[in-house]
Amino acid sequence: MTNRFALGLVLAPLVVLGACSQEVETSDDTLVIYSSRHYDSDYALYEAFTEATGVEVEVVEADGDLLIERVKADGDSNPPDVIITVDSGRLWKADQEGLFASTSSDILNQRVPASMRHPDGHWYGISSRARVLVYAKDRVEASDLTGYESLADPKFGGRVCARSSGNIYNISLLSALIARWGEERAQDWASKVAGNFARDPQGGDSDQIRAVVAGECDVALVNHYYYARMALDTNEDVSNVAVYWPEADPGVHVNISGAGVAANARHPELAKKFIEFAVSDEAQKLFPELTSEYPAVPAVTYDNAVLDALGTFKADPLDGTTIGSRQEEAQRLFDRAGWP
Amino acid sequence: MAAITNSIGNRAAFAAGGILRRLDPAVVGTILAAFFALPIIALIALALSGDSEYLDHIASTRLAEFSIKSTKLAIMSGALAALIGVSCAWLVTRYEFAGRRALSWLLILPLAMPGYVAAYSWYAITAPGSKFEAASGWDLPTVSGISGAAFIFALTLYPYVYLLSRNAMEAHGRLSWDIARSMGAGPWRAFRQITLPLIWPAAAAGTALVIMEVLADYGVSDFLGVSTLTVGIVRAWSSFSDPAAAAQLAVLLLFGALLALGAERAARGRRQFASTGASDTQLSPRSQLTGWRSALVAGLAMLPIALGLLIPAGNLAWLAINTRPSGSVLPALQGTLLLAIGSAVLAVFLGLTAAYVLRSGNRVARASVRVLQAGYAVPGAVAAIAILSALAIGQSVLNALSGAQAAILTGGSIIALLLAYQSRFAAVAILTSEAALMKVRPELDEAARSLGASPMRVVTKIHLPLVLTGLATAGLLVAIEVMKELPATMILRPFSLDTLAVTAHNFASDERLAQAALPALILIAICVPATALLNLVRPNA
Repeated sequence: MTNRFALGLVLAPLVVLGACSQEVETSDDTLVIYSSRHYDSDYALYEAFTEATGVEVEVVEADGDLLIERVKADGDSNPPDVIITVDSGRLWKADQEGLFASTSSDILNQRVPASMRHPDGHWYGISSRARVLVYAKDRVEASDLTGYESLADPKFGGRVCARSSGNIYNISLLSALIARWGEERAQDWASKVAGNFARDPQGGDSDQIRAVVAGECDVALVNHYYYARMALDTNEDVSNVAVYWPEADPGVHVNISGAGVAANARHPELAKKFIEFAVSDEAQKLFPELTSEYPAVPAVTYDNAVLDALGTFKADPLDGTTIGSRQEEAQRLFDRAGWP
Repeated sequence: MAAITNSIGNRAAFAAGGILRRLDPAVVGTILAAFFALPIIALIALALSGDSEYLDHIASTRLAEFSIKSTKLAIMSGALAALIGVSCAWLVTRYEFAGRRALSWLLILPLAMPGYVAAYSWYAITAPGSKFEAASGWDLPTVSGISGAAFIFALTLYPYVYLLSRNAMEAHGRLSWDIARSMGAGPWRAFRQITLPLIWPAAAAGTALVIMEVLADYGVSDFLGVSTLTVGIVRAWSSFSDPAAAAQLAVLLLFGALLALGAERAARGRRQFASTGASDTQLSPRSQLTGWRSALVAGLAMLPIALGLLIPAGNLAWLAINTRPSGSVLPALQGTLLLAIGSAVLAVFLGLTAAYVLRSGNRVARASVRVLQAGYAVPGAVAAIAILSALAIGQSVLNALSGAQAAILTGGSIIALLLAYQSRFAAVAILTSEAALMKVRPELDEAARSLGASPMRVVTKIHLPLVLTGLATAGLLVAIEVMKELPATMILRPFSLDTLAVTAHNFASDERLAQAALPALILIAICVPATALLNLVRPNA
């Protein structure tokens, strides 16, 4: 009997919780945002927007590729007004699928640099991350590093860490390098880097940094944002690694996060207003201050000690379309080069 | 306890019985199988719709590596899971030792641990320079690569083998074992020649489930750096935006799964045993272990629980305590429970019907159920894409007929998601129901029929009471699988419906394991009681 009682106790809340799970009704003047970002800076942005305009925001979060696939299938009962996604490759893909509407706005065109937005206003950059090298201060001379090509240098044989080639950041970097160097040299680079690996690619960018800290490798390819996050985290110790800016002509590769008005937006004007708000001074400083990303608007001032210590850098002005359209080629190159 | 189990089962039995009374099981099963096989048909259609450009590229570069790694990983994980599952089942049914009763329950709990969560957690513990290694001064081998992934899969999936083997051992009683022992056979010989053949179908079914789950996995393999076929499939889709190419590779994987199932059938076919009779379910005392032997066996049986659940969950708890929670997890909890309960009810119905089809011997029906079972090895992401494309066709027909534009079927409806779960997890429900039904000896049917009972009366009066425990097991297993499922949920869920797995993944994929820890722990916490319920449904309880 006690067993039966215990079973009832376990089952009852399950049934009740299941029964009260109802779909949320959205009122007509709510702005619907689909985002593949889930950061504190973004939550602060939504809140600030609601506070400034009185417009309620409903946010739906999903992974980048899934987001695109679903909006494309266009089956959701709650279509988006704004679509936000990470990396110019994904922005390009979403644009190819016709998910964005064209928006023109003086505010947006003035504030966002041309390399950070779509030429016809399909999307606008809101923040960026730089793809950098981190190295062990005690085992690598900064003067030995010359750019992304250093990773292919024979003197780093068995000393390089990077994540797998299926990762969008690596694919976008190689796309940019194909545009920079041409296919042959880019593939040669990728094979040589793969030959220099200290271990099979595993984990994420933070794991590559930890591997350098632990001495498993000496130099790693990561986004600056993971380094900055670890440097600000009291639970992590990155004091023995440093960031190197691979600025060699034409500059450091950056991953853009962008927002665009959705093609079937129910509130296109509100959507435009939201994106304009996202590039305002007030909103832009949220990205460096809460997420350690660089703002899309260059003149914005912010407070982030780690980013200040990293100093300024020269970003590759390559546009999103050039990068995005080479994604497939980049993945093929990685496969041929044997970068797992 | 039994009354509750019965009332759950009776409702399912009533629903199934209502239809079965009017129709031949084979016909019902064929229709059901065809319906639930829809995603697989859609998958094949999608595969045929594409060109071979990506396939040519991948064949000339990495296809061999993908296939070899998938095969190796499946074999290593399956073998290790079978070893752990069968040996633990043997220990708790044959020996009496300190904490045996508790351990026989606890050994099933690692099933509550989602593989990707275990992988993230173990990697964080053992990666070079981890907090743990720094604090302890130990240099643990890193859980990564093929052996690391096999370690994760074996320790989170062995409960399938354990549960089915333990129930089989208990159902067969110990009489045959005792006779063998009294005739002078050593414990090893008695195990090999008596126990193993008797539990073979159950252990093989459990191992087949493990292997299919390994083949379909993306999260663990990708994170630990094993380039499996499924990793290639997801890349075809994410990097090449080529769902057709993904479907082509998925069909290849489906063949692999059919091979694994075929091997299981062959293994089962050679050794088909029904118990010698009711008398063999009588239990004779377990061999009593004392002193250091008792402690040693208890320690051995504790090991899989510690490695599969306690250590990775403990690490997450430590992370969660030291982290500010990010947002409420209540809506995600509700979403998870809603989906789990809905799927479990559907799965019991489907599993029972399919098991009858298999028993009926109708060839066409049997073949379609086998294909349906192989759906377990279709990666969730691929199943979801296939279902999207299948439902889009259904939707346009529906719209044309009704003139309405409501998206009832396509992405963002719970129907699509429930269908995806059934096609993914049908194997779990079918294998469990079938194993239960196999214990019903054919002579029982013949006896009842010779006394004038109709076929449907045989089903409702004889089979159902005997297989209720199996059905409850099927429902619970599917509920647990659904709670842990990630890729299909991410693609198909109505975006207003959050689940714990999705929430945890969103944080973990951004390398914020500490924030992922809380939703992951809650997910584990609700899977644990569901898993523990599996212990209630045992043959001699």
